[in-house]
Amino acid sequence: MSMRLIVTLFFLVGSSFAPIRSAKSKFPYQQAGLTERQAAAHLISRFTFGATPNQVDEVVSMGLEKWFDRQLNGEEDDAEVINRLKGYNALALSNAQVVVQFPRGPLLQKMALADGYLTKDSLAQLDKPSIKEKLKEYRKQKGLREEKELYTQFIGQKIIRATYGRNQLHEVLTDFWFNHFNVSLTKGQCAQFIPAYERDVIRPHVTGHFYDLLIATAQSPAMLMYLDNAASMGEAENIDMTSSTPVRTRITRRGRIIQRMPLPNRPTQPKKKTAQGLNENYAREIMELHTLGVEGGYTQQDVTEAARILTGWTVYPMKDGNFEGLRKKLDETGENRLANNGFVHEGDFLFAANRHDSKEKNVLSRKFVAGGEYKEGVELLKMLAAHPSTAKFISKKIAVRFVSDNPPQSLIDKMADTFIKQHGDIKKVLLAMVNAPEFWHTEVLRSKTKSPFEYAISTVRALNAEVTEPTSLNQWITRMGQQLYSYAAPTGFPDRGQYWINTGALLTRMNFGLAVTSQRLKGVKIDLNGLNHQHEPESAEAALPVYAQLILPERDLESTLKRLMPLVTNRDVINKVEIAARQKNSGGYSDTLSHAEPRGQKTMAKKRWQDAPSQFNNSPMLAQVVGIIIGSPEFQRR
Amino acid sequence: MISRRAFLKAGSLTMFGIGVGGLPQFVARAASFHKQTRLYKKNKILVCIFQRGAMDGLMAVTPFTDPYLKTARPNLFMNADSQGALVDLDGKFGLHPSFKNFIPLFQSKQLAIVHGMGSPNTTRSHFDAQDYMESGTPFNKGTNSGWLNRAVGLMGHDGSPFRAVSLTSSLPRSLYGDNPSIAISNLADFGLQLRGAKTGNLMAQTFEELYDQTSDDLLKETGKESFEAMKLLQKSDIKNYKPANNANYPASPLGRALKQIAQLIKMEVGLEVAFAESGGWDTHFNQGTDKGIFGRNAEDLCHSITAFWNDLGSWQDDVTLMTMTEFGRTVKQNGTGGTDHGRASCMFILGHDVNGGKVHGTVQPLAVENLADGRDLQVTTDFRSIFSEVADKHLLVNDDRVLFPDWSGEKIGVMI
Repeated sequence: MSMRLIVTLFFLVGSSFAPIRSAKSKFPYQQAGLTERQAAAHLISRFTFGATPNQVDEVVSMGLEKWFDRQLNGEEDDAEVINRLKGYNALALSNAQVVVQFPRGPLLQKMALADGYLTKDSLAQLDKPSIKEKLKEYRKQKGLREEKELYTQFIGQKIIRATYGRNQLHEVLTDFWFNHFNVSLTKGQCAQFIPAYERDVIRPHVTGHFYDLLIATAQSPAMLMYLDNAASMGEAENIDMTSSTPVRTRITRRGRIIQRMPLPNRPTQPKKKTAQGLNENYAREIMELHTLGVEGGYTQQDVTEAARILTGWTVYPMKDGNFEGLRKKLDETGENRLANNGFVHEGDFLFAANRHDSKEKNVLSRKFVAGGEYKEGVELLKMLAAHPSTAKFISKKIAVRFVSDNPPQSLIDKMADTFIKQHGDIKKVLLAMVNAPEFWHTEVLRSKTKSPFEYAISTVRALNAEVTEPTSLNQWITRMGQQLYSYAAPTGFPDRGQYWINTGALLTRMNFGLAVTSQRLKGVKIDLNGLNHQHEPESAEAALPVYAQLILPERDLESTLKRLMPLVTNRDVINKVEIAARQKNSGGYSDTLSHAEPRGQKTMAKKRWQDAPSQFNNSPMLAQVVGIIIGSPEFQRR
Repeated sequence: MISRRAFLKAGSLTMFGIGVGGLPQFVARAASFHKQTRLYKKNKILVCIFQRGAMDGLMAVTPFTDPYLKTARPNLFMNADSQGALVDLDGKFGLHPSFKNFIPLFQSKQLAIVHGMGSPNTTRSHFDAQDYMESGTPFNKGTNSGWLNRAVGLMGHDGSPFRAVSLTSSLPRSLYGDNPSIAISNLADFGLQLRGAKTGNLMAQTFEELYDQTSDDLLKETGKESFEAMKLLQKSDIKNYKPANNANYPASPLGRALKQIAQLIKMEVGLEVAFAESGGWDTHFNQGTDKGIFGRNAEDLCHSITAFWNDLGSWQDDVTLMTMTEFGRTVKQNGTGGTDHGRASCMFILGHDVNGGKVHGTVQPLAVENLADGRDLQVTTDFRSIFSEVADKHLLVNDDRVLFPDWSGEKIGVMI
């Protein structure tokens, strides 16, 4: 057998048996002076919601590169998460199901009126609380559910997934991309669509191509409502009347055309004139926040023209009481006929050709010839996704999340270069990042400040907690300054440590640590002795280094131990922290939360809050020591 | 509300009185009413309200005689004639009806309006425009400090940890910088917030520094002088505060913020700059006319400010209040009953040294050829001109090289 043949065979065998791996060589951590274990800890800190006990060992024994590949590909078995989410029966619902099963106030009232449960007269006579009470009764009678229950389940699943998901990188990326394409529960019109937004729009694409995310968000009801594009339409004189002419025919159920009549909101209807024309909100944010970045080189003219291109991009009307007439007409018209007239209906998305500005446009010096219809919107998104400014902007944002608040420009350049060459392939960009020496530089290690969510989740992960009820965690996360899914502005939560650092928040974090370890969080159980294989240290002084090592693996703990020793040995510290935090919080939170309280926190809690006393008897000494480690500055960092 | 010193004095005298068998009531009363020695020098105070989201200046203060406006906004335009909802200010500008409580203040020349105010930077990004306005450097992103923080520095009064206070949950860009500033959404939280603030600016600190201070404070009671003010706050009955003159604050975030600013002012704890926010001005969709989203926001703003002003009573002499917003909105209504991002807007300035009762600035006829990019109200007054004049005349801070380093323009006489 010739040498060449052997080599060829080797390659054949190699390539056919080994799964395709994108990482070819070892990560360059040695150049930065890191040991394999330190590198593993860094990797875990960047691509998970926090290390679990012994996770460093696991990653080292699997091999860092292999672990990362498996994480990128989402190859781990998530049966545990699925099992833990069994009772969450709202999570699989479609948008169309959600709007009818969890009717919002206005729809509920409409239904109650239609059913004769309320009358116009009774509405006029009753005061607001009585109407509310009536509607509540009606909802019960009809077997309908409260909107806030949906959000309780939705927030709960985020906490459960982040805590127990084995494909941690996918959880982290889901959080990252959601925040990049932020929508908010504080805006009522889009709130109901947000659970499906995360599930169907963000999650499936987190390691795909950037364009996939861009178009999926552009066509999602949540985004279309959040940034108003659903209502944007072309100026009357710019709408091509012929494109939609046949839609004006009304068709009987049997398919017979009986008369020609316009669709609602058609430009030919003079009385609807008020609701006609452009809304450039989304077109601006798609450039400023989603793709090019504010310095990406676009002008006001580009914003307006992009808005014109996106006219007609709207939500297919659901049975939520809005656009009822339009929905009926569309349903009656039939898919084929809609398609023949330039309409596009995919899932909840509708391109309404009769609302689209069909004249010529120019965006970023590219001409979109007249009559481009739906396709020109797709072309616009493709152009934006592939733009060099987007490559830079997105690469920087990824680097800020995964490397440091001020990532080195050389790293961003490498990532942006990959972004362009690989057509926005997110996996390739992430690989370029971890294969760059800058990712492993000692100055970026533990340089990120955990957000309240990251802090809370990393705590329960580090302590191997049994979270049966995520509500109490969510309440603490809110108290620490991060109301999940409720950042009102389209920027999403700022990703820089400064935003989270202030005295009030720090005290709340310290108090959180002590609250968790002394089992004051309902539905969160911790076995502190179990963490140390049932060896209970004799004193606080002895416990501190042991548990610090367990909770903060592969870190230089000298200064931390010095800092914490006086606190762990002070008998009164738990009380002091609690009193201090309580003083700080008196009256404060009700104020800050009242306008946008996360809906329905208590609904699920009621069931299990009774079983608060712990099954584990953690000693108060140990609870204090571990609580103080959790509240320490070192544990605020990742 | 009485200050802590007064309280202590009254208290000790009473005890003394009991001890030695009775002190004439009038002596005790005189002691408690005596103008007590203040902890801090009584300063001039500037209160700023940032209207986030870009207020539609043309709806707030409408040039109602402009024929172009009516055409551009068939569904948003209101008139000031007998049928119209606007309040005629001067035959040219009409005030939105939700602002009607401003009228007495305008008539008594305490309230001035500046129209056509904005930034020379044409960005229509909220986030950038707010940054530029708050840093005071509209062409320089790298500025680390906010203009109000620099103003506090220029005033140069040391001692009080309360010199710059923002009644918001996080520190606004306007207050970033080297001079101590505090962000707090509720006065009751002040005590602990201060523990971290006492040595410097919160923004500059790391978690480690904060932690060491906080744990220090927790472990041993520090009896430093700077805690005097904090203790005063803790003793004050913040929750049961009763505004003076039956001032009725809206139960909104802005109403609560201004109420607490009034409390701080009356406690005389050395406040020089206060900051609050008003939200919901990004009215892309169905902004309404006299009623509706804009009307509700405007009413909240107006009622909060007028309640604050009533509540201040004799403290009004020391206070100037100024509103600001990052840009204005399109002259034309958009396709969804709202307005998109534009250029110039307007602002309100309230105080006894304000050249009030006037609409300052220039609003040209809104013909397309006069508009910025053919669509927006032109910026005819640089926001820095106003900010600088207010700081100069009210706070007596006139070093524009520090306050607005790359600006050298005219002041238009909004202050006396």
